[in-house]
Amino acid sequence: MATSTADHPPVRISLIAGRYLVFDIDAVMVLRRSHGLCGVLTGTMPQNPTQNLFLSLPQELRAEEARMLVDRGAAYIADEPNDHLRLLKEMSSGAGEKRREAYLRELREKRVTAKRLFDEEKEAVRKMHEGKRGKAKKGKQTQKGEGDDSLFFDSAPSAAVQPPAPRESLPAITPSTSNAMLGEPAGTSGAIADEDLPEPSAFYKELNRRGYFTTPGLRFGGGYSVYPSDPFKFHAHYLSSCYGWDEKIPMLDIVTSGRLGTAVKKSFMFGAEREEEGKAKGEGQVRMFCVEWAGM
Amino acid sequence: MALDDDDNPALAAPPPAANTTAATPDAPAEETAEDLLEDEGAAAQDFRVFATLFKKNTHISAQTIRKGEKDFESHGTQLQADTLEQSRAAMQEVLSYTRIHSGANLVRGWYFPDWWADYEEGEEWQDSKAEDGKKERKPFGHIRDRVVILEGSSTSTQNLGRAVTGQAKDRPGRGRDWLLPEEALYLVERGSLDLWWPTREFGEIFPAPPAAPVEGKAPNPETTDANPSAQQADEEEDEEDEYANGFPLSLQAAYALLVGPDDSRGKISLQKFQVYSNLKRCGYNVLRAPPNPPNPNQSSYPLNITIKTFFSSLLPSLAPSPPKSGPLLKPGLYRSYNQIFAQLSLIERHIPSPILPSPLPSIAPYEIHFLVWKSSQKWTKLRHAAPDFYLSVVDAQESEVPQMEEIFGLLEQTPWAPPRKEWEGNHGRLYARLKNGWRNVLMAVVDHGVINYMSRSLQEDCVFPYKAMVPRD
Repeated sequence: MATSTADHPPVRISLIAGRYLVFDIDAVMVLRRSHGLCGVLTGTMPQNPTQNLFLSLPQELRAEEARMLVDRGAAYIADEPNDHLRLLKEMSSGAGEKRREAYLRELREKRVTAKRLFDEEKEAVRKMHEGKRGKAKKGKQTQKGEGDDSLFFDSAPSAAVQPPAPRESLPAITPSTSNAMLGEPAGTSGAIADEDLPEPSAFYKELNRRGYFTTPGLRFGGGYSVYPSDPFKFHAHYLSSCYGWDEKIPMLDIVTSGRLGTAVKKSFMFGAEREEEGKAKGEGQVRMFCVEWAGM
Repeated sequence: MALDDDDNPALAAPPPAANTTAATPDAPAEETAEDLLEDEGAAAQDFRVFATLFKKNTHISAQTIRKGEKDFESHGTQLQADTLEQSRAAMQEVLSYTRIHSGANLVRGWYFPDWWADYEEGEEWQDSKAEDGKKERKPFGHIRDRVVILEGSSTSTQNLGRAVTGQAKDRPGRGRDWLLPEEALYLVERGSLDLWWPTREFGEIFPAPPAAPVEGKAPNPETTDANPSAQQADEEEDEEDEYANGFPLSLQAAYALLVGPDDSRGKISLQKFQVYSNLKRCGYNVLRAPPNPPNPNQSSYPLNITIKTFFSSLLPSLAPSPPKSGPLLKPGLYRSYNQIFAQLSLIERHIPSPILPSPLPSIAPYEIHFLVWKSSQKWTKLRHAAPDFYLSVVDAQESEVPQMEEIFGLLEQTPWAPPRKEWEGNHGRLYARLKNGWRNVLMAVVDHGVINYMSRSLQEDCVFPYKAMVPRD
């Protein structure tokens, strides 16, 4: 299951106001399983909207992560606001009639499914309550020694409850993605070549190549928090910052980051790419060092 | 899921209910701090636990939820791979949820980005409005940025949105609540709002109220309250009717329409939205700060204080400057500590003042974006006390650690908030005084979706008992 995701079509990364977002849960899983990217989930969880521990889609990616995926051919960047506006306007006029119909059809299918699930759930709840009531009754009745009648009593109320429910309207739904609108394949509609997309640092690429997962590390006082694998299963080992090969590193930075990292049981890792002749930036060898605070 | 039966209860960490506090500025006890920090990140995202939370009959109480047990490193066992796969599958399951609005919970919003585009800003701010016979100034409405009109209301929309008053009687959609982009997006995200894209003109969907109010409802039978009545029709026809005015939008579309660069009207930057929704999830009441918040104390203070502070600011320059080298304290006979202290002080003391220096120092990069109130029953969107917090949103990538002047510039946008009387005195509430400066501001630093809150306050440099020793001039 984990490996079957390799042939997933390119992931759509929505560029909205300079930020890179992924809305499709399948895409999120592909990034996590095949590309060693966990991003940051930022949305409110609709199932439980009053907590901040578990967050939901969209997933925010760093620009360099987006760039790395694009370079691998695993993703494309879509100019989401303009693409949506264009499609929505088209759908409002006659030109996009087909698209609109297709969108509404798919929406309707989902609504019907939702309704069916709702009804099934209701039915289950009803049965459970009935079962409880039945049991209670049974208990009472067996005490009285009227075991035979209980069958009759059980079925009578349920028959009374069961009259065909009035036909309710379909529930409204808000899909998470616009895939139904963007058309099949969830396509490269609105794909752009993002000129601003920064080249990922060789430092980051090296971490990713070695299977490390990274998350934004500012809260621990560094560039990234580096996990040996999926953060679901492992604690971060390092707090890392990337420097230039010839860049002078202020001693104070090493002390601060080192201390901060130690305070959260991580070691401070810093590294740089060696600029070599004949090799493009981002292709050079990367050296990394760790600083750990000895017992004091 | 056999999460709890086969586990030693002694290993279970305290319930993560405590962890939610980690996001708030109040630092928890030292021991747990690092656990919390760890937890706040991905460690807490044990979706397996979350998934089970929703199955009501699994009898999982808050006590049994605990920090996901993590391994130090991969040891290549099947067991490890399986647990990881379980976690991922649970996450997939939880995040695959589709927002469903059923029956009574349905609140619909329509996206009309240009309806208030030409609205004159500031009108409601300048004039105090007569309401309930009392003169009352309404909070600034940001009307031009309001882009989503609400059809109906529910508990979750109660404290959001704003009806624009003072409109012509025949204006379509009069008296309806309008949402700011962050409010609309927040509601869509939490599954409380069904956002629609209109395919008809505003006036057709929200006709101007005619003479008889009863007829006002007739033209739009798709409104929430009229929903059940539409059922009798054949389903196909029903659908036709339903989508005559527009069609629902996805969460992705809502982001695409409502999130935008900072300076665009009717949009909000992603960083600000992330902070907004983070605070809302915590239960705070949040409103956009008015542009250039006026300092109410500024005008009401008598002039003589200005003159006094002006002169007192001149005083230190008259004092002899300390020697360039050698000991600060000149050898000699001292009969009072005051003389010693006076010589030891190198930097001019900052005395907080309610008055802003007349030319405001460069305020440039930072401004107050949100006003935040702790949750309270009494709070309403139109009537509330002064905010509990003033919050500025900063992007971690685009800014450096702020300079002193920049922090001052930001602090000067917040009102004068001296420590309370009861905190004073040598044995007064020292920590309360330390925590509450003379002006306070919160900064939310957003690092790619991870929010770090920092509190900045203007302290008098001698809240410490030392204050008592140095007499004020």
